[in-house]
Amino acid sequence: MLRSKISNLLRIFFANWVDSLLVPLLAVVTAVVVGGLVILAVGGNPFAAYIGLFQGAFGTPKAISETAVWATPYIFAGLAVALAFKGGLFNIGAEGQLALGAVIASLVGYALPDWLGFDLPAIIHVPLAIGLGALGGALWASIPGALKAYTGGHEVINTIMMNYIALNMTSYLLNGPMKDPNPQNVIARTPEIAVTARIPPLFDGFRVHWGVVLALLAAWLVWFLLWKTTLGFEIRTVGANPDAAKYAGINVKRTIILTMAFSGFLAGLAGTIEVTGLNYRHELGFSIGYGFDAIAIALLGKTHPLGVVLASILFGAMRNGATRMQFLTQIPVDVISVIQALILLFVAADAIIRYVYRIRSRGERVVLTRGWGG
Amino acid sequence: MDWKRFGFILIIIAVLFGAVVLVGSVKQHPIIIIASMLATTIGVATPLTLGALSGIFCERSGVVNIGIEGMMLTAAFFGWLGAIYMNTILGVSPLPSLLIGVVIAILSSVLMSLLHAVLSITFKVDQIIGGTVINILAVGITGFLNRQLFFEKGSIFGGNVPHAPGTLPIIHIPVQEGIQAICNATGNSEGCQIVANALGKLFDQQPIAITAIVLVIVTHFVLFKTRWGLRTRAVGEHPRAADTLGISVERMRYWNVLIGGLMAGLAGAYFTLESVPSFEPIMTNGRGFISLAAMIFGNWTPFGAWAASLVFGAAQALQINMQVFRDVIPANLAFLQNSYVVGLTPYILTMIILTGIIGKTIPPAADGQPYEK
Amino acid sequence: MKKLYALIALLVVAALVMPACAPTAPDCTKPEVFCVGMVTDVGKIDDKSFNQSAWEGLQQAKKDGVADWVQYIETTDAKDYAKNIATFADAGYDVIVTVGFALGEATYAAAQQYPNTYFIGVDQFQAWPYDDDPSNDLTNYAGLNFPEDQAGFLVGALAAMMTKTGKIGAICGTDAVPPVWRFGEGYRAGAAYINPDVEVIVVYHSDVGFDKTFVDPEWGAQTADSMIDQGVDVIFGAGGKTGNGAVTEAAARGVYAIGVDTDQYYTLPEAAPRLLSSAMKLITPGVAELIALAKDAQSGGAAFPAGNYMGKAGYAPYHDLENEVPAEVKARMEEINAMLLSGELQTNVPPVKP
Repeated sequence: MLRSKISNLLRIFFANWVDSLLVPLLAVVTAVVVGGLVILAVGGNPFAAYIGLFQGAFGTPKAISETAVWATPYIFAGLAVALAFKGGLFNIGAEGQLALGAVIASLVGYALPDWLGFDLPAIIHVPLAIGLGALGGALWASIPGALKAYTGGHEVINTIMMNYIALNMTSYLLNGPMKDPNPQNVIARTPEIAVTARIPPLFDGFRVHWGVVLALLAAWLVWFLLWKTTLGFEIRTVGANPDAAKYAGINVKRTIILTMAFSGFLAGLAGTIEVTGLNYRHELGFSIGYGFDAIAIALLGKTHPLGVVLASILFGAMRNGATRMQFLTQIPVDVISVIQALILLFVAADAIIRYVYRIRSRGERVVLTRGWGG
Repeated sequence: MDWKRFGFILIIIAVLFGAVVLVGSVKQHPIIIIASMLATTIGVATPLTLGALSGIFCERSGVVNIGIEGMMLTAAFFGWLGAIYMNTILGVSPLPSLLIGVVIAILSSVLMSLLHAVLSITFKVDQIIGGTVINILAVGITGFLNRQLFFEKGSIFGGNVPHAPGTLPIIHIPVQEGIQAICNATGNSEGCQIVANALGKLFDQQPIAITAIVLVIVTHFVLFKTRWGLRTRAVGEHPRAADTLGISVERMRYWNVLIGGLMAGLAGAYFTLESVPSFEPIMTNGRGFISLAAMIFGNWTPFGAWAASLVFGAAQALQINMQVFRDVIPANLAFLQNSYVVGLTPYILTMIILTGIIGKTIPPAADGQPYEK
Repeated sequence: MKKLYALIALLVVAALVMPACAPTAPDCTKPEVFCVGMVTDVGKIDDKSFNQSAWEGLQQAKKDGVADWVQYIETTDAKDYAKNIATFADAGYDVIVTVGFALGEATYAAAQQYPNTYFIGVDQFQAWPYDDDPSNDLTNYAGLNFPEDQAGFLVGALAAMMTKTGKIGAICGTDAVPPVWRFGEGYRAGAAYINPDVEVIVVYHSDVGFDKTFVDPEWGAQTADSMIDQGVDVIFGAGGKTGNGAVTEAAARGVYAIGVDTDQYYTLPEAAPRLLSSAMKLITPGVAELIALAKDAQSGGAAFPAGNYMGKAGYAPYHDLENEVPAEVKARMEEINAMLLSGELQTNVPPVKP
């Protein structure tokens, strides 16, 4: 009796989850194998490489802490892109929104006590820095969102342009008005933020900080938003079929702007958390490439918050472990990008995976392309 | 031909050039400045034009291709690799090496576009995701191979970056001689001499730049004046109707995507075989996306896209020349000294253009939709 | 599915067996094994100058028998500076070389954390005693810096003497990097010293981020083109690959070009026919020297020269243009060089952009 109950549960579990988990999992495995072949082809030892990678990512408590440090911004940025995908929008602007979040958070962090003339207690300063930074990201994303809603301008191009504008602005600010005036310093970066604006670390001696908890909380919140609220339903409906949504009485324009705003909020959070939890300042040259990684993570995670978290851990582990791999085996870190690209290829073309492993196709396809609008 | 759109473009180009002339004319004759800016403009616009043409072919047949960036990068790397291999390992002399490099660049880009075609047309993967995959794949492969072949011992190049066989040579079109002849006949004034020199320099261009302009004309002709072009556009606007008439939608799309790959391959070849003889990871730096913006701005027409590319080229020329003339910028225009402000022009321009304020842009009707029989 | 399980099982077994195929690094924690590690800045070993020259310094040390084992780690993200340094330190490396001023703070912190390891920071003035409290000075950290302004001064003077149009130019990376600033301003000062009427156009690529400013050869080439169109006939390229782009383009268009960091006659042969000289900072011998001094200090010899260690700068030979440079120019160059070395002549270039 118990046995049949358990086997029923397992069957339901697998029936629901196998489609979501199995294909990405197999994609990763296949990419790892192909990556191993690539390493072999260039004269390396794939097993040593992967062992080095694993050791670097999970081998010691410090390594695990560093992997968590890498994964945190990935989770936020991945959620941002995934949320936009769910709403039928492609937010390539995570990079710029992140930068804006970081700039504003650092400004609030180091300048606000000076402006006010007194120190703020951490309980106010930290949420203020994080909140304002994230709002900056939200605003930055709403511009392309509004442009799409009211003029039909496609968000792919507009968010990319906003990226360049944001990076340009950051460059200007960090080399000029916001530059650290300490004569010892020549790099383009802000002064350190006040102690009261910092997110405390989780454990003494490790860099992992409460931001990772916030990230997991954010993942849960996104899930809740999308599947347990009316707004989330509207977002998903607009994403699946904007015309049907309109006929159902949903205000499509408003939904598009809100989706982009939430997405930008999350991306901005990625930037703010890095500033307030890890670096305690904003420096030029940080966060190159988070935007594209976030897209890969969102796709690998099948645009579902849990998937995004898992994918972020995977990518964080790869980035973190790569240096140890290079240290031990002299295999260059670029092989990681090849593997990541392969993972993405197999996930996106899951038809390939299904064909190779003979899995039946089920479930909906992610559809984003609706031409350029207009 | 949309005159409002063209008018807007001409005004912007005139403003950009005018700003530099205004500032620089204290040091240099305006005609020399304009010629110099035109040279830079054409140089910068070449890969953008080719990228936009690539986009036009793909999208006119109904396939969205945001992987142009990745295709350009792939072509840039493999073309460069091919040229170096020919020159250094096989001992072929520079010019043939470079030409073979161009061929290899185009081939590698076509392969990438084949992948995109297979993913989008046969497997019906979402085209934007497919394009993103191409981009990320390109970055990964080129970065890795760049590292592996040139900086690891034991590779065929022995761990050093060998020296590239230079860049494609400048082709001299005898404009200067022609104008000089007119000058001689009309009294040989100094102004005439300056015009002759300036225009002469303008018409000294490298092969890919010239090819790009020729291809704009060819594309226009092919798309709008041939039966093949008509079929392509039919497949992009009403695939079902085209299918009923016996046109193979899949085949037309495949061909167009491959041609798009060819164009993108030329664009990539420009970077490493014509512009500067070296490869940097991610050297395309977003230009594939700007090409898409040029394509949209040009309303999916070759001449429109070319004009838009020239605008971006002019913006870049503005930025460089403002730096060169930095010391003579008058105080009331001091914001021009700040290269950040000037550098933002192309991006803000793109966004303004996309709002449709200059005129609505109308993509092919079936753009982006996989065709289900 | 059975086949899949078999495959996975095989892989697991292989993975357990494989560690036997270990890498060949010796055990650096042993006192008699002298290991030197290098941490690059974000950017790779390949850049034909900076990181490359420093790495050659380590290899020189190995060749001279000073070091038993040398290795590098490339940093891919500024987050990893501390981690990468710690990887070497924890593995018992005796000397750690960090390249680039951006690593200054991380190196300083590591030097405090690992007092038994020697740290050499290329282009890091953070090692200088910056306050009056000697207890803040670290005895195990030496900042290898160079008088780039003197090298720039020399080639600026050369350019001013060799120009026929009276216009010379310099195309540099971002002026936020002090060595680049010193090269550029030294160039300007040197030209002014020879002839204040020579027009000097110095352009810094400060409008892009650090990830791009030294790897933008296209911008370098385009800026060179613009300058040449304005009549400039000597171009100094100072800024990694960006500068290289300018130098190659200048040479391709037939004007004089001047390289930077190392004698670029060898690293940029396509520019060789028009390469007048290069403003050199001798990183490789500087690094090798300091490593040898560290080994000496470790075995009880003279104390490690902690703090600011001034390397050498100079200008490269004329090579193919030997016959084009007039004798009086050559003589003047040697004179200026001697005066700079003796201190008789000062460049008056501020060490950082004010």
